[in-house]
Amino acid sequence: MVGQAVTGLSAGAAYALVAVGVVLIFKGTRVLSVAQGEIGAFGFFFGLRWANRGMPGLDWHPPLFATLLIAVVIGAVLGLVIERFIMRPLATRPPLDALIATLGIALLLALLEKEIFGTATQFAPSPVGKWRVQIFGATLTAERIVAVILAAAVAGAIYLFFTRSKFGLAVLATTGDPTVARLLGVPVNQVYRFVWVTGGALSGLAAALLGPAFGGLTPFDMTKFALRALAGAVIGGLDSVWGAIIGSLIVGVLEAVVGGQVHVEGAANVAVLILVIGTLVVRPRGLLGTSGAA
Amino acid sequence: MLRRVVERARIRVAATSPSRTAGVVAAVAILLWSFTLSDVRLSILVGVIGAAIAALGLDVLVARTGQLSLAHAAFLGVGAFTALNIGGRNGPWPLAVLGAVAATGAAAAIVGMPSLRIRGLQIAITTLAFQVMAENFLFVRQDFTAAGKTLERPGFITSDIRLYLFALAALAIVLVVRWRLAVTRAGRAFLAVRDVEARAQCFGVEPGSSKLLAYAISGCIVGLGGALLAIKEGSISAKDPFVLLESLQLVAIVVIGGAGSATGIVIASVLFKGVPQFISKISIFGLHISATRWVPIISSALLVAAVVQQPEGIGGVLRLLGRRIDKRLRPSTGEGLPPRPQPTDPVAAAHNAAALRDVPRPFALRMPVPALLVGHEVTVQYGGVFALSDVSLEVRRGEIVGLIGANGAGKSTFFNAVSGLAPVRGSIRYRGVELVGRAPSGRSALGAARTFQDMGLVRAETVKENVLLAQTWLSGYGPVAGIFGLGATLWRERDLRRRADLALALFGLEHLADERLGDLPYGTMRAVEIASAVAAGPDLLMLDEASAGLGPEEAHALGDRFLALRDELKLTLVVIEHHVPLIARVCDYAYCLESGALIAEGAPNYVTSQPQVVESFLGRGGAAGRSQAKAPKAPKAGPGGPSRRRRDRAQRGSDERAPERSGGAQRRRQGGDPVGAAAEGGGPRGRAGAPGLKRPAGTKRSAKQKAKP
Repeated sequence: MVGQAVTGLSAGAAYALVAVGVVLIFKGTRVLSVAQGEIGAFGFFFGLRWANRGMPGLDWHPPLFATLLIAVVIGAVLGLVIERFIMRPLATRPPLDALIATLGIALLLALLEKEIFGTATQFAPSPVGKWRVQIFGATLTAERIVAVILAAAVAGAIYLFFTRSKFGLAVLATTGDPTVARLLGVPVNQVYRFVWVTGGALSGLAAALLGPAFGGLTPFDMTKFALRALAGAVIGGLDSVWGAIIGSLIVGVLEAVVGGQVHVEGAANVAVLILVIGTLVVRPRGLLGTSGAA
Repeated sequence: MLRRVVERARIRVAATSPSRTAGVVAAVAILLWSFTLSDVRLSILVGVIGAAIAALGLDVLVARTGQLSLAHAAFLGVGAFTALNIGGRNGPWPLAVLGAVAATGAAAAIVGMPSLRIRGLQIAITTLAFQVMAENFLFVRQDFTAAGKTLERPGFITSDIRLYLFALAALAIVLVVRWRLAVTRAGRAFLAVRDVEARAQCFGVEPGSSKLLAYAISGCIVGLGGALLAIKEGSISAKDPFVLLESLQLVAIVVIGGAGSATGIVIASVLFKGVPQFISKISIFGLHISATRWVPIISSALLVAAVVQQPEGIGGVLRLLGRRIDKRLRPSTGEGLPPRPQPTDPVAAAHNAAALRDVPRPFALRMPVPALLVGHEVTVQYGGVFALSDVSLEVRRGEIVGLIGANGAGKSTFFNAVSGLAPVRGSIRYRGVELVGRAPSGRSALGAARTFQDMGLVRAETVKENVLLAQTWLSGYGPVAGIFGLGATLWRERDLRRRADLALALFGLEHLADERLGDLPYGTMRAVEIASAVAAGPDLLMLDEASAGLGPEEAHALGDRFLALRDELKLTLVVIEHHVPLIARVCDYAYCLESGALIAEGAPNYVTSQPQVVESFLGRGGAAGRSQAKAPKAPKAGPGGPSRRRRDRAQRGSDERAPERSGGAQRRRQGGDPVGAAAEGGGPRGRAGAPGLKRPAGTKRSAKQKAKP
C-alpha cells in the first residue's frame, strides 16, 4: 500500500508538470487547455523516431537524452504557434470557444501522430538513464525520480518567478484584468506568448518522462494523462500553481492505491472522477484556487 | 372556403424568401434522390442520421444554454445499451425506444446537476469526467452492454429502405421537438438563463429547473439516436462508437455545422460520418487519399479553423448565402425605414391598454389598495457593507415615484430587494403580500415588473422573442407540455404573441419585432425592455435609469411615456432617475437615498431643493450647485392655459404646482378605460395606515382631478 502510494506519487509528479502548464495558461489567458498532453507527445514521438532512424537529411542519431530536449523544443514551438494563430483571435470570445479549439488541437495532433507513427505502442526508452531506487518497497525507475525532482524544481522556479520577477507580476496583473493590465503598460501579448510557450515546454518534458514510466506511448495516451493532470488542476484550483501540484499528486496516489487495492475494472478512474465532480460541486474553486477559478 | 385556403397559401408562398424556397426544394430533391441509393449506402445513411440526432441533441445544450457537453457519445451509448437491454430481453421495440429515451434523459439530467452550482468550463469538465467514467466503468460491464443479446428489429422493418424511412421519421421527430422548443417558453427560458441567469427570474423563469430540463431534453434526443443505432445494429459488442473521441466528433459536427442551425448540423454529419464511408479514396492531382484516414484529421483541423474563423459554421455560411441571393432577386423596397406613424385611434388605444392590463390575477391582488408597495426598514447587507439600511418607503397606487440619489446610493439595490435578487432583512409588502422570503421567480405573478440599468434581456434574440420571454409567468402551460403542444399551449401561445404585438405597438416598435435586439441602437433597446416589462401585465412598473444615455429631447419624450403609462395603462411607476428635470416634471413623489439611507422625501421639487440632497448630488459646493439643480424646471412652471391636470401639493409649507406638460404624441388620454376606471375608484385616497412611515399626516396630495376641457 505504501509502495503503491509512492509509485502513485511519482506518477502524480509527472502529471503535475502538465498541470502546471494548464494552470499557467489558465492564469495568463483564462483558457482551459486540454491539448497540453498531445502537444508534448507530438514532439516526443518525433524525438523517438529520430533517435531510432536518424534525423532526416542529417544522418545524425540523436542520443536518448536528446529525445527529451526535442520534445521540449517542439512543445514550446507548438505553444508559440497555437498562441499566435489560434488563441489570439479567440481572446475576445467566450472561454468555451477557446476550450473547443484546444479540443480540436488535441484531436488533430493525436490523429496526425496516428497517421505518421501508426497506432502501435512506441517503445520509449528513458531519456535520463536506467538506474532505479528502492523506497518503501517501491522500485522507482530513473524517469520517475527525475519527474519528482523536476516537479519540485518547477514549483520552486514558478514560486520565484511570481514573487521575485517583474514579468511574473505582469502575468498576475493580466490574470486580474487584461484590459487594465494593458492600460498600465503590461505587455499582455508577451504574457500570452510566455504562458503558452512554457506550457508547451512543460508538456514536452512530461511526455518524455511519462512515456518511459508507462512502458511506451500510443497516440491519445498523453491526452489520458492530460485529463488526469486536468483533474489535478481542478481539485487543486485552476488558478493556483501549488494547488495544481498538490492536486496532481493526490490524483496520482489515489489512482495507484485504488487501482492496487480494488480489483474492479475502471475503479481507479471512477475514484478520481468522483473526487473531481465532488470538488466542483462542493468547492468549485478547488483547494487553493481563488474565486477567479470558479 | 377553398378559395380562402388557396389564397392564404399563395400569400404564404409569396412571403417566403427565394433562398428559403430554393433550400426547401433542394432538400426535398436530395431526399428523393437518396431513395435510389443501394441498400448498403442506405444503411450507412441510417448511421449518419443516428450521429446527426446525437449532434442535434448536443446542440440543444450548446446553442440554447451555452454549455458544452463532452459526454454525448456516452449518452448515445446509454441510449443504445438501454434499448438493447430491453429489446434483447424480448421487450417490444416501442418500449425499448421509450426506455432508451427516458434512461438517457435521466442520465443527462443527473450529469447536469452540478450546473446548478457551477457553470461554463467547470461544467465541461464534469461532463468530461462522466464520459471517461462511462467508457471505463459502465461500457466494460457485460450486464450493462447486454453482451450476447440481440434486439429484434420491429416487424415492419423488413428492408433497408424501411429502416431508412424509420430513421428519417426519428430525425423528423427531433426536428419538430427542436422547433417546438424554439417557439415555446422552455426554449426562451433556456436562452434567458444562458445570458441573464439571475435576472430571468424576474420573468418567472426558474433557472435551476430550466437547466435540468435542458439537459434532460438533450439527453432524450440523444437517447432516441442511441435506440436507432441499437435497432440498426441489433447487438453492439464494441464500445468504440461511444468513446471520448466520438464525443469530440459530435462537438466538431455541432461547431462546424453551426450551433443552432439544424441544417448545418445535418450537413456536417453527412460530411463527417457519411462521406468517408461512401467514398473510400479521393484522388486529386494524382494523390490518392484514403478518406477513412484523412476525414477525421481534416474534420479536427476544420474544427479549429471554424472556431477561429467561422464561429457560425456551415449554418452561418448558408444564412449569408441566402441573404445574398434574396438581395439580388428581390431588391429591397424601402425596407429598413420605419413605417409611417398611424394616426392614433383613441378607442383602439384604450382597448389595447385594457387588453394588456387583462391578466389572470387573483381577486385579492386586484383590490384597490392605497399603497401598492410598502417597504419597512429594508436592510441589505453585503459583508460589512450596508447597501441599504432601514429604508422605509411607500409607493401609492397611480403614482409615479422617483427614486433619486448619487451613484452607489442603493437605488438599484432597492429594486433588487423587491425582485428578490438581494438578501433582505426587514419587510417588503406588495399589496399586503410579504415579498421577503418568496422565490424571485414567484414574484412576477403578483404584478410587479422591472427593467435593469444594464439590460436584463437576451441580446441575441429578436425583439419579439424577448417580449414573449418577459411573459413567461403568464404563459399558462408547462415547459414540457409546450414542446408537445399539449393542453392550452397553442392558443395560449397565440394570445402571448398578440399581447407582445400590442406592447410593441404601444411603444411604436412593431416594425422592429423581428430584429435582433443586440443590433438595435441603445435607446431603442431600452424602449424594448420597458415594452417587455409592460407586456408582462404588471400593476407596478419599476424602471431603473430608463433615461440613461438619452439626450434631452428623448428624455422629454420618455417623460411623456411615463405619464402615458400611468394615465392610460393605469400603471404605478417607480423610476430611478438622475435626470432632475424629468423627475420634477413627471414624479408625484420622490425619495432620495444616500449611502443606503433615506435622506429626503416629498414632492420632487421639494426634495431636489433640500440642502442635504443638493449636497449629496453635487457635493459640498453650496449655492452654485443648488441653483443648477433648480434651474431646469423654472421656465416650465409658468402659467398655462386650462390645466388638464392640476395637483395641489401642500408640501410642508411649500406650495408648488406641477409644471405644465406639453401635449405629445404619447398622450392619448381616454377616460373610458374599463379596467383602470374600475380599479381607480376616483376621489381622494385615504392615508395608508402603514406605521413607521415618515410621510407626515396632512401632507397627502389631493386627488387627481381629471378635468377635461
